[in-house]
Amino acid sequence: MKFDLRLQLDLHLNPDELVACVGCGLCLPHCPTYRVTGEEIASPRGRIAAMRAVADGRAAPDAAFFGAMDACIQCRACEAACPSNVQFGHLMEDTRAAQAPERSRWQRAVEFVAYRGVLPRHRVLTSGTRVLAVAQRLRLVPTRFGLPQLSVRPPTPLAPDPDPDAYLFTGCVMDAWQRDVHRSALRVMRATGARVGLPGAGADCCGALHVHAGRHDEAVALAGRVMGAFPGDAPIVVDSAGCGAALADYGRLVGTADAAAFSARVVDFSTFVAGRSLATRPGSATVVVQDPCHLRHVQRAHLPVAAVLANGYDVKLTADDGLCCGAGGAYSVFEPELSLAVRDRKVAAIRTAAGTDSFVVASANPGCAMHLSAAGLDVRHPAELLEQRLGTD
Amino acid sequence: MCFPESTDDVAFAVQIANQFKMPFVARGSGTGLAGGATPLDGALVIVTTRMNRIIEVDPSARYAWVEPGVLNLDLTRAVTYLGVHYAPDPSSQQACTIGGNVGTNAGGPHCLAAGVTSAHVLAVDVVLPDGSIERLGSLAPDTPGLDLRGGFVGSEGTMGIATRIAVRLTPNPPEIRTLLADFTAIDDASAAVSAIIAAGIVPAALEMMDAQITRAVEDFVGAGFPRDAEAVLLVEVSGLLGGVEIESDAIDRVCREHGARTVRVAVDPDERALLWKGRKSAFGAVARIAPDYYLHDAVVPRTKLVPVIRRVYEIAEQYELICMNVFHAGDGNLHPLLVFDGREPGIWDRVHAAGDAILTACIEAGGVLSGEHGIGLEKRDAMTLVFDADDLDLQARVRDAFDPDGLANPEKILPKGSRCGEIQRVPEGAWI
Repeated sequence: MKFDLRLQLDLHLNPDELVACVGCGLCLPHCPTYRVTGEEIASPRGRIAAMRAVADGRAAPDAAFFGAMDACIQCRACEAACPSNVQFGHLMEDTRAAQAPERSRWQRAVEFVAYRGVLPRHRVLTSGTRVLAVAQRLRLVPTRFGLPQLSVRPPTPLAPDPDPDAYLFTGCVMDAWQRDVHRSALRVMRATGARVGLPGAGADCCGALHVHAGRHDEAVALAGRVMGAFPGDAPIVVDSAGCGAALADYGRLVGTADAAAFSARVVDFSTFVAGRSLATRPGSATVVVQDPCHLRHVQRAHLPVAAVLANGYDVKLTADDGLCCGAGGAYSVFEPELSLAVRDRKVAAIRTAAGTDSFVVASANPGCAMHLSAAGLDVRHPAELLEQRLGTD
Repeated sequence: MCFPESTDDVAFAVQIANQFKMPFVARGSGTGLAGGATPLDGALVIVTTRMNRIIEVDPSARYAWVEPGVLNLDLTRAVTYLGVHYAPDPSSQQACTIGGNVGTNAGGPHCLAAGVTSAHVLAVDVVLPDGSIERLGSLAPDTPGLDLRGGFVGSEGTMGIATRIAVRLTPNPPEIRTLLADFTAIDDASAAVSAIIAAGIVPAALEMMDAQITRAVEDFVGAGFPRDAEAVLLVEVSGLLGGVEIESDAIDRVCREHGARTVRVAVDPDERALLWKGRKSAFGAVARIAPDYYLHDAVVPRTKLVPVIRRVYEIAEQYELICMNVFHAGDGNLHPLLVFDGREPGIWDRVHAAGDAILTACIEAGGVLSGEHGIGLEKRDAMTLVFDADDLDLQARVRDAFDPDGLANPEKILPKGSRCGEIQRVPEGAWI
């Protein structure tokens, strides 16, 4: 079948990455949207087949195509499961980049404000947060959005150590909404003997959401600013899995040797702690570890979370190979139906793993934490849980 | 395309198909390797992925009733706490459905000792091609009358669609030992396979991988497969501790006598799981070499492994193709993979010619077309290599008894109309 050539769209996909899928299907059980729909087009293999069809001009890049692409949470569990190392994340990001101009004027306006006006400008974000906090008090924000209880007062600044030998990356939304997690991370890092520095000006936003939305040039610009905010070669500790994955990918995103060297310094909070000595009091409270996709599938750095928590808690793991919780950055807002179906599955897996009604969930990513909290679970960051067990009996 | 959620839904879909004389095809996860679920002629695709409930588990009688869309590995995981598992373990077991396993009578590494799917299916509720619902087989050990269940398993959707399946659950062995033997010559590894069986041992699994595939899977799993080996054997024995020790010692000795450089024993379940993950990722890992592959599934007598494997590599060389071998050596079930880049001009003709030559060589050695993947679309026209007109006619009559109107997955398994002996090209649509 041939389509009107004007309907064709060059997705600018790397042809070698596109043909690397042999269609074996080993990704299917690891795909959250396939798991809840059972539909091929909601699976990585089906999405690649659709990308190929559009790239070859056998199908039109129409609303159905982009709808199928938008339904992907970009958890990248398929990449970890793929024996042929298909770079699904790149393919999906490139497809979204090609799609960006196709969006409606309304969508573009909202995105412009969010991606250009708020996320990269930390002061705008923190004052916006206070407006949001007031709205929350006035019950104008639906609880299904899963926002944490925001503070109307400006958050207390974090105090860095002099002469740091490690940095804590603070980022955008997490710093504005969950600064207490950073505070816990600082305390735990100090308890391991680290002198913790904070980024200089420019590290407002890592650009992860921009990459996911296909806003490539903006992401590269943000990466340049972030890299400038961490002089020297001390490790850069990240307590948000999504930001960590983005920072660790600057080497590819920016494509320079400096960027690759920067990415090599990036380390997740739990990995950093696991590599040092930390005195914690043992305890028996049940903690179920939820593996954020960007920690497990992208950074492949999820194991230290359970390892560091095991010294202070009765740690349980879910038996779902780290299936996504459905948060996916802004995904839960744009695809609420699928997002909730995926979350239901995750919550069931967490409850099964806990084996008791009294448990806390550990999540190393703010997006997952908010999404799961909205389902009624008690979710904490591993840093907060560790902080509670600091010291010796 | 439709997504039924119950037996009644499937029956309804089939009745509608009958009303419009529309062919229909059942599809699970689409991991088949012979095009069995490929829809032709605008067939209605009845997708079973939403029928994914485990309906009943009886731990004392050791069976479970499951819907066809349950994933093979999900079933085993769901019953692990009872100390049992579902024995047939195709390499795609994490993704493939029980319904698809029934359709193709699927095998897997551990089917050497445990037997293939048919030995583990007690009964099936099926929607027959006319839309009626019947139960074939029963939970009783030996059902009176014709074994229609046995005929249905492996019929690739040509006799109806399974909507509930009673599967046997197998107790987990008390002791498992997994050995990895490393050879510097393919012939030595092939000879060791025959020698292990000749020594009176039937291992739980006996798998072989050649140099290229071993390196490709090692790149993925990092399980410590030797990158410089010409071939490795992955051998597993299980059962009571005493027997396992005797058998693993014997296998170690036989392998070393046949030139194995090292024989390594997995020290814990994690290491064993990683070795198996490597083996079971083999087909999926070939894109690390080239983006396309053509896979055969012939079975040859184990005693002929050495000359047949040698011949397979000769054929690949003759057609200037990369050939990799990863297979169920213990039951002589070869999986020669011709690996290529489909974008190269003229490559398909060479691949097809080499594939025909390999198949012919296997059959001349006393082999058969398929060990476990099924015939589907891809091997349909090669059926004439092993069956004469009378054989094919007899099979067609059995099929017609179930499906007089020819609507259930038509044009699969049996070559349509023709009874001539010529080898035809792989039919359109057999490729993804």
